[in-house]
Amino acid sequence: MTTIPVTAPRRVTGGAKSGPWRAGLPQTMRAEWTKLVSLRSTRWTLLVTAVGTLLVTWLATRGATHHPAQWYRGFDPTNQSLAGLALGSLAFGVLGVLVISGEYGSGTIRSSLAAMPRRGVLLSAKVAIVGITTLVVGEALSFLSFFEGQAILSGGAAPTATLGQPGVLRAVALSGAFLALFALLGLGLGTVIRHTAGAIAVFAGVTLLAPILLHSLSESISRLAPELIFANSVAAVVPQGNSVSVTLGVVLMLSYCTAVLGLGAVLLHRRDA
Amino acid sequence: MIVTRGLTKRYGKTVAVDDLSFTVTPGVVTGFLGPNGSGKSTTMRMILGLDVADAGTAFVNGSSYADLSWPLRDVGALLDAKAFHPGRTARSHLRWLAQTNDISLTRVDHVLDLVGLTAVADKRAGKFSLGMGQRLGIASALLGDPGVLLFDEPVNGLDPEGIRWVRHLLRDLAAEGRTVLVSSHLINEMAMTAQRLVVIGRGTLIAETSVDDFVARHQSEAVRIVTPTPQRFVAVLSRAGARPAVEADGAIVASGLSSADIGELAADQELTVHELTPLRASLEDVFMELTSASVEYRANTNDPVAAAGALPTR
Repeated sequence: MTTIPVTAPRRVTGGAKSGPWRAGLPQTMRAEWTKLVSLRSTRWTLLVTAVGTLLVTWLATRGATHHPAQWYRGFDPTNQSLAGLALGSLAFGVLGVLVISGEYGSGTIRSSLAAMPRRGVLLSAKVAIVGITTLVVGEALSFLSFFEGQAILSGGAAPTATLGQPGVLRAVALSGAFLALFALLGLGLGTVIRHTAGAIAVFAGVTLLAPILLHSLSESISRLAPELIFANSVAAVVPQGNSVSVTLGVVLMLSYCTAVLGLGAVLLHRRDA
Repeated sequence: MIVTRGLTKRYGKTVAVDDLSFTVTPGVVTGFLGPNGSGKSTTMRMILGLDVADAGTAFVNGSSYADLSWPLRDVGALLDAKAFHPGRTARSHLRWLAQTNDISLTRVDHVLDLVGLTAVADKRAGKFSLGMGQRLGIASALLGDPGVLLFDEPVNGLDPEGIRWVRHLLRDLAAEGRTVLVSSHLINEMAMTAQRLVVIGRGTLIAETSVDDFVARHQSEAVRIVTPTPQRFVAVLSRAGARPAVEADGAIVASGLSSADIGELAADQELTVHELTPLRASLEDVFMELTSASVEYRANTNDPVAAAGALPTR
């Protein structure tokens, strides 16, 4: 390495190349996809999430198989089989946080912004890639959990559900999509807070502590917590005790994500990288 | 070409970069010199649009960084030694960078080869030594084959062989007609690498000049004299307008007259001379004197612009 094989011929100023006239969302999305899949932590997070979710589903449905008939009054077999997704919502939130906080922690954010100085484009690419990836995996997990749960319930005295029954397909499909919203909520928190530990702590607070704390204040307020919207409205066919309507729940969760991501976008523009 | 005009950055009450204007031209290595904390990194981040300037502008090839169509094909930058995720391999890091600017993936292998990381390309970068991390950073900067390059302290953590390699690389890149700005707090390193200098202290411009000019302009003309009659010699020197001082070993160090003048003076006054040596202040001395002067002057004034003006500038 004493002589440097420098390539010829050299372009002294960045030259025109065929194709698009400037770097934009498609290039940044491709790069974000490479970033996501080139980290072992992503693969591990997804694997552990899948195994954990299906395990919790197994436990939750097995525990509900052998009961006297009156126990099943108001029983929601769909909701029961989607119990494991609560774990998935946590893991996806952490994944969303890491996608941006990991860049701040390592200094990669400066490389990212040097490559794509338009910060809104960078955040949009992250939203798109995290959203699409977790939507696909989330739907797969939701349907897998449902089928696994129904198979286990059908082995006992419990009533079971099929996708053809009213509201069941809606609950299963929407639950998968909700997992992606938890990931985007995490991404938004990570963008605002920038530190992994802090952002995860806040995310855990929002998902785990908020329902408990709000419940002690007022049951009707605790219904508005993301995790309770998920468990009691979105993933339910039979209306659960403490719940908002599905439509309101979806609108609320979308509002939370938009608000946090919007704040993140504003701060990303304002702050030095 | 990099042009900054009135670039200013404040952090609360601290002024990190103060009305900084300079031009970095293609074809030569420009050393960006200043003590630690003088605002070099902040300036580089502002050129790259990472930090927002409170006032002033920075243009790269005539446009602000954010307006570049394909930033990495115009500008390559090495800012931190470890601006990559520790869990990602060197190849993956370069691959996503390439994708952001539609750079062909064969360039990834090429720059890996160029910096000598091919053998560890598929190892996780978190396991890299500081020197290897620095090489990956240099590979990232070269990825888009850019005409403008910024390197912030590129030899940090490199072994002597690596330092020599970087020195050659920078000169080769400049010789190809590129604009190369390389920051350092080590003047001797810059003297070996750079042809031009932008010197800053406390965020203000101290000098913008060629290395040769910088040395010539700020060289002090001191002469060391060994004589059996130092007291008489000192008196004669003083009368002739020099500023003599007697060192601990009895030798005289005089400034203000050249060695030729002093030789003539000695012959004229029939003084015995055992030794007459012109002393050239090292670049390091010059640099220290200049930057400490800026610090001292700044500490006693509330007018930093006047401070900059009072210092020797080109």
